[in-house]
Amino acid sequence: MSAVPPGLSGAVYDRGYRPYTGPRGGRREATWALWRLSVRRALGLRRSWRQKVFPWSLLAIATVPAVVNVGIGYAIKDNPMEIPDFTFITYREYVGVSTALLLFVALTAPDVVCPDRSQRVLPLLFSRPLTGTDYVAAKVGAISAIVFGFAFLPQVVLFVGQMLVSDGALDYLADNAAVLWQVPVSVALLAVYYGAIGVALASLTDRRIVGGVAILGLALVTSAVAGIIVAAAGDGGTPLAVVNVLALPLEVRDLVFLGHLGRDSDLSGVEGGGVLAVLAYLLVLGSAIAVLQRRYREVAL
Amino acid sequence: MLRAAGLTKAYASGPPALSGLTVDVPPGSVGLVGANGAGKTTLFRLMLGLMPPTGGWIEVAGHHVAADPVGVRSRLGYMPEHDCLPLDQTASDIVSTFGELAGLPARAARQRASDVLDLVGLDEARFRPVGGFSTGMRQRTKLAQALVADPQLVLLDEPTAGLDPLGREEMLDLVARLAGFGISVMLATHLLDDVQRVCEHVLMIDHGHLVLEGPIDQLMQTTGLLRVEVGGQPDAVAVLAATLAERGLDSRPADEHRLDVDTTTAGEAAADTVRDAVADLGLRLYALSTRHRSLDDVFLEQAGR
Repeated sequence: MSAVPPGLSGAVYDRGYRPYTGPRGGRREATWALWRLSVRRALGLRRSWRQKVFPWSLLAIATVPAVVNVGIGYAIKDNPMEIPDFTFITYREYVGVSTALLLFVALTAPDVVCPDRSQRVLPLLFSRPLTGTDYVAAKVGAISAIVFGFAFLPQVVLFVGQMLVSDGALDYLADNAAVLWQVPVSVALLAVYYGAIGVALASLTDRRIVGGVAILGLALVTSAVAGIIVAAAGDGGTPLAVVNVLALPLEVRDLVFLGHLGRDSDLSGVEGGGVLAVLAYLLVLGSAIAVLQRRYREVAL
Repeated sequence: MLRAAGLTKAYASGPPALSGLTVDVPPGSVGLVGANGAGKTTLFRLMLGLMPPTGGWIEVAGHHVAADPVGVRSRLGYMPEHDCLPLDQTASDIVSTFGELAGLPARAARQRASDVLDLVGLDEARFRPVGGFSTGMRQRTKLAQALVADPQLVLLDEPTAGLDPLGREEMLDLVARLAGFGISVMLATHLLDDVQRVCEHVLMIDHGHLVLEGPIDQLMQTTGLLRVEVGGQPDAVAVLAATLAERGLDSRPADEHRLDVDTTTAGEAAADTVRDAVADLGLRLYALSTRHRSLDDVFLEQAGR
């Protein structure tokens, strides 16, 4: 085999050209491809190990409560005993382990949308059979799907573990059949909400760090403002507690699990608080989607 | 390849970006020529169905864009002028991803990515992140992503921008070969040499208006000049120009002894007229040769009208 002559390493060689005659999809396939690409990016797949550390560590951390609960349940199964300062987590409470999920959204949502704008990839994407709506669906869908997975898988671990360490697996299943739909529905509502808000805020900037800070800032500021308003309102509660955008999916979760707001809810003392929570949830979700639609309605080449 | 009638695009403010464009461009390689702000990008956006025209209609690769603005993109490839590649990804990942985004199944997209990266000369660099690529390699990656789905037509926006002379030659060679693969090319540029070298057809626009459209060979022929070098008296050029004007030929002095005669209307008969006029005036004829103008001359002349 002869060596490549010096100076020819960058030359263009004619290797011929083969036309493509296979199947060719349209919008649906393009959207699905963009969704896969975004999921891969958010999970650090096909990227360096540094990009993988955070998402997979988060999944491990989110699963810890389930493992601890199941482990303790197993340990005291044959020897019931009181463990001070420990109460078993409920499926409803486990849906609310949202801080870690919010952190995940703050880091990954900007990572899947900001580079498209800052590196000017959008014109290339929109030269494919994709619309702005398809782009938004793929990006929000990707983040929401991962949040759903990270919130749902630990619940599965908890449920299966509890079932196995219970005295009767079938009895446990029958007694807790309701959570089989309550958990996925409430987790899905949480995931879509976080996904839409995260991607919407990230879409407003080219810089990932700014997007991440905006997401965390929104959560912290609205939570603090709500805390002040609720404290000022006293025991009766106040409808203005809906400004806490982080708490809204948890209020909706309570409605799914309990049929009414939880006792610890800031809206529980407000007449029509449940309806108000749902309306606020839909308003925030709709606003996020409207921002996204406007942001990607038209892309310059 | 491209048909349009009365194609107009006006924005909320300012003059129309395109105004009443009516063209019928055959398949092959076409140069889209115009200065900055001429309307080239607007035409590309209309061809890609990214926005509707405010007047007229447009048909690309046999498909009415208004009827299926998204679907038409399945048949097009687009290479922007500016940097547009995700720098942390490898060339292989980028090209196969854009293959999938064009609707190809994942396995086919990977195979096609490999093929087109070979074609553009990036076979050995395909697994390197494009962030470490030279400008020429990035341009080739951009061309590869435009070709990966085997489009009927590729829209190339200034593909030689920023390239050194060798890179420019290689890029133009690649573009020139595309027509042989059955892929039509629309090359938007302000470098008329590039168009003259790789295109068969040219479309000139200026301030949103169609300036000129037609096969380059024909344009060069019909817009040719006859260069006449005469002597015999001090004002030979002026005298000859006046006589030719009387006989219906436009001309302009090139210098003290030479005259450029416009043969657009008279064609080959102009040479006989010049010969006869020189003989009638008793001038000495040193040279009489056909001089083809460059596309630069044609564009400047047409745009100046």
